[in-house]
Amino acid sequence: MRNPLSKRLPREIKGDLGKYLVIFFLMILSIGFISGFLVADNSMLKAYQDGFSKYNIENGHFVTEHKMNHAQKKAIEKEGVTLYEQFYAEKETDFGATIRIYADRTQVNTVCLMDGTLPLAEDEIAVDRMFADNHELQVGDQLTAGGRSYRITGLVALPDYSCLFEKNSDSMFDAVLFGVGIVSEQGLKSFDSKELYQCYAWKYETEPSTEAEEKKAAEELMKAINKEVALKDFVPRYENQAICFTGEDMGSDRAMVAILLYMVIAILAFVFAITTANTIEKEANVIGTLRASGYTRGELVRHYMAMPCIITVISALIGNVLGYTVMKKICAAMYYHSYSLPTYETVWNADAFLSTTVVPVILMLLINFLILHRQMKLSPLQFLRRDLSRKKNKRAIYLSPLIKFFSRFRIRVIFQNMANYVMMLIGIQFAYVLLLFGLVMQPIMEHYQEQITDSMLAKYQYLLNMPLSEMDEDHKLRSMLAMLQFEQKVETKNKDAEKFSAYTLRTTDEAYMLEDILFYGIEHRSSYLPLELSEEDVYVSSAYADKYGLKAGDQITLKEKYEDKSYTFTVTGIYPYDAGLNVFMTREHLNEVFDLGEGMFGGYFCNSEITDIEEEYISTVIDLDALTKVSRQLELSMGQMMWLMCAFAVIIFLILVYLLSKIIIEKNAQSISMTKILGYSRGEIARLYILPTSVVVILCMLICIPITNWEIGIIWRIMIQTMMTGWLPYWTPDGVYAQMFLTGFFCYLIVAVLELRRIKKVPMDMALKNVE
Amino acid sequence: MFLEINGIKKSFGEGDSLVEVLKGIDLSVEKGEFCVLLGPSGSGKSTLLNIIGGIDRADAGSITINGEKTEDMNEKRLTAYRRKHLGYIFQMYNLIPNLTVQENIEVGAYLSDHPLDVEELIETLELTKHRRKLPNQLSGGQQQRCAIGRAIVKNPDILLCDEPTGALDYNTSKEILKLIETVNRKYGNTVIMVTHNDAIKNMADRVVKLRDGQIRKNYINEEKIKAEDLDW
Repeated sequence: MRNPLSKRLPREIKGDLGKYLVIFFLMILSIGFISGFLVADNSMLKAYQDGFSKYNIENGHFVTEHKMNHAQKKAIEKEGVTLYEQFYAEKETDFGATIRIYADRTQVNTVCLMDGTLPLAEDEIAVDRMFADNHELQVGDQLTAGGRSYRITGLVALPDYSCLFEKNSDSMFDAVLFGVGIVSEQGLKSFDSKELYQCYAWKYETEPSTEAEEKKAAEELMKAINKEVALKDFVPRYENQAICFTGEDMGSDRAMVAILLYMVIAILAFVFAITTANTIEKEANVIGTLRASGYTRGELVRHYMAMPCIITVISALIGNVLGYTVMKKICAAMYYHSYSLPTYETVWNADAFLSTTVVPVILMLLINFLILHRQMKLSPLQFLRRDLSRKKNKRAIYLSPLIKFFSRFRIRVIFQNMANYVMMLIGIQFAYVLLLFGLVMQPIMEHYQEQITDSMLAKYQYLLNMPLSEMDEDHKLRSMLAMLQFEQKVETKNKDAEKFSAYTLRTTDEAYMLEDILFYGIEHRSSYLPLELSEEDVYVSSAYADKYGLKAGDQITLKEKYEDKSYTFTVTGIYPYDAGLNVFMTREHLNEVFDLGEGMFGGYFCNSEITDIEEEYISTVIDLDALTKVSRQLELSMGQMMWLMCAFAVIIFLILVYLLSKIIIEKNAQSISMTKILGYSRGEIARLYILPTSVVVILCMLICIPITNWEIGIIWRIMIQTMMTGWLPYWTPDGVYAQMFLTGFFCYLIVAVLELRRIKKVPMDMALKNVE
Repeated sequence: MFLEINGIKKSFGEGDSLVEVLKGIDLSVEKGEFCVLLGPSGSGKSTLLNIIGGIDRADAGSITINGEKTEDMNEKRLTAYRRKHLGYIFQMYNLIPNLTVQENIEVGAYLSDHPLDVEELIETLELTKHRRKLPNQLSGGQQQRCAIGRAIVKNPDILLCDEPTGALDYNTSKEILKLIETVNRKYGNTVIMVTHNDAIKNMADRVVKLRDGQIRKNYINEEKIKAEDLDW
């Protein structure tokens, strides 16, 4: 015979439809979104991973000063690689962005055409789909780049640019001011050879099977290339952010959203457990009778666990259906908004099923089982006598009669509902974490941009292209002549230009993402850096110190980018500069440390634009646009997500506070009914039963705001340290605290109005009917 | 003997506040017997009933039902014992509020491998008209009849009734007593009823009077009358 107790379940849902609907809604929303996210993430990740073979993605690429001859190529290919020319031109568009133009690729890094056709004529171009989206470009539109006009024939995704990093050393990709495009073979040939970057992609004949092997192979290859030509850039695939960042980011997102879901489910499980505990209290006599009649503890535990589990299972099923249909599209659109990914096919994801169905049900089962099992340990007689306290001789906490009666009453209500309020604190805390994360993103970016604007070393920094290929120990005369020619070519008439030496080293701490640190060798009494440096001083920028926790006296070890040579410096001080991870020393000191030669310099600080140095001698211009790339891109790709987080936080806040307040009123319905009989007005009853919750909610908010700020500060730090290069300091403006408080306050106001209505509905005869 | 109670002692509290509620109770009840435990408040009759029902433990003494000793049983076996042998009726009906009359009775039937026919029982309880109603749609008497149905549907060896008419008016109380009498006669269950209504002793086979935790009188009622003839 089926347990007749199960017949209660549908009636319970009907009887408390409001409560179950909001729980359903929250669970379906959470599970649906996470399921959609995981399915989209997994499907796109699969498309991304499959892309390595499907589009024959390079094992790496390097850029040389000059085009290599056949013999040089042959010599390098002897290292077990095949080289492919991937020459490109970089041009500025009429809307101020840089577009990197390649010829159509047929052998390596082949193109995924997403819309339209590939270019055939010289004046045709296919541009990256995301770059096009960001500039509202469509097939058929005209695009002007480098003074030439192109007709856009198609939108593409280049597998070696799933993430639009202009330079591998960039902290962040920039899909607004940087894009890629494909022209026909003829189209590329139409560029002057001086306009082209001599880029070569390589593929190993035998793919290294481990990461260590791959690193070793890349190092060997670099040595071999260095013997043949002067390298301008060398990027093995495993270090190429344009290829790898997407995969790594997708993987890390997955863990984050799964944790988010588990937190929501755990909170809901506790809400359920509190609701059930309340029901058990209400039904103590019934439970006592059933236990006395022979119902086992297990049967009753199972009965009371059935509802949360059924609701979780149904929510998980509906959530998954939503996940695979509606939500998947929303989440995929979010990825397409950040990454330049190829087309994907939805794949069944066992992990998503496990995370969104199995784990939530187990979590719900476990939390409810632990709490119910403990409660059901009471004897049948204790249930019959309604003696549900586990503590023997439980005494009322003494409250001084000097405290006004209403205040004492309210304190008692708070004591009575302590478990609910603890849950409320946890729920508010959780909602606030999401809310603050959503609210703080934009201020962080704005603050960062303001700080950078205020603390820029100079309006423009020009990093020069030094003729390293001409620097040869064996041909000193040739080197000297080359140097002389270089110095002439890079002289400027700008009066405010100030020379500095520059050198780049790479970090060595594997706990963080490896990144490039730019060393500045500055003039004595520099007009751009008010730093009085003595000969051996080594200052680090505040951003560098903040990210790596450096202080004066600490040692830093950095290595050459393409060699094994490493350097150790002792930090003398910290220079307040948040825009980059830099080291400052005197020009003489830098030239000496890196053996650059006396009088050598690598760039200019300048507050006016330099126009009298030929473009080929300028490697990089660091201006406001370049420095705010990180914040701009983060704002663009995460802006949507932040709004979603805020909305989700508000929903969670509303639902949790509503559910827990509801339980408190329901628990006290009998007493509320009695106070009505005694003649208390509705206002007085509200002051007795709603005001305590109001006080607790406001206290919870006030406690949670600084705690949340502290937590997000830590999360932010870890995120920036481990997931990206560069540094974006955490910052919360006071307005955000006010926003958090007001959001919570208005959410609670809605709940309080609903609770007032609930109190109004408590019938007076409730107290009369119940004879116990 | 079907039910043997030997030297049952029970006290509550400790130190100065220790109260001896049962001071060594010896009692035997035959199968199918209708036994009434009478006594004033605090005499220990409900405590004795709870110990017989296995929902409370005695400090000393033993209870044997059909050869099974309850004091040796652990929690699990005690539950199984209650499931198999006992039916409970309380002063408060303790019905499940969101189950209908029939479903509340089925809650009892579920516990037995060979329950009584629910349809027939509902008829016996005169609840046919109300079978689809929820408890809050019933009068006190109807609710208590439903509670009796839930207790006896599993055809227990012993029906334990703790002040079953305590919350009911005269006429409804008589109705309930008639019903318990019918059940006792029809199904042959042993009935042990705790009450402080002295009149009820007249319908019992055995009358046990308790005071201060001791049996003051224990006798077979030779002049047993029908429940409908009771008056108080």
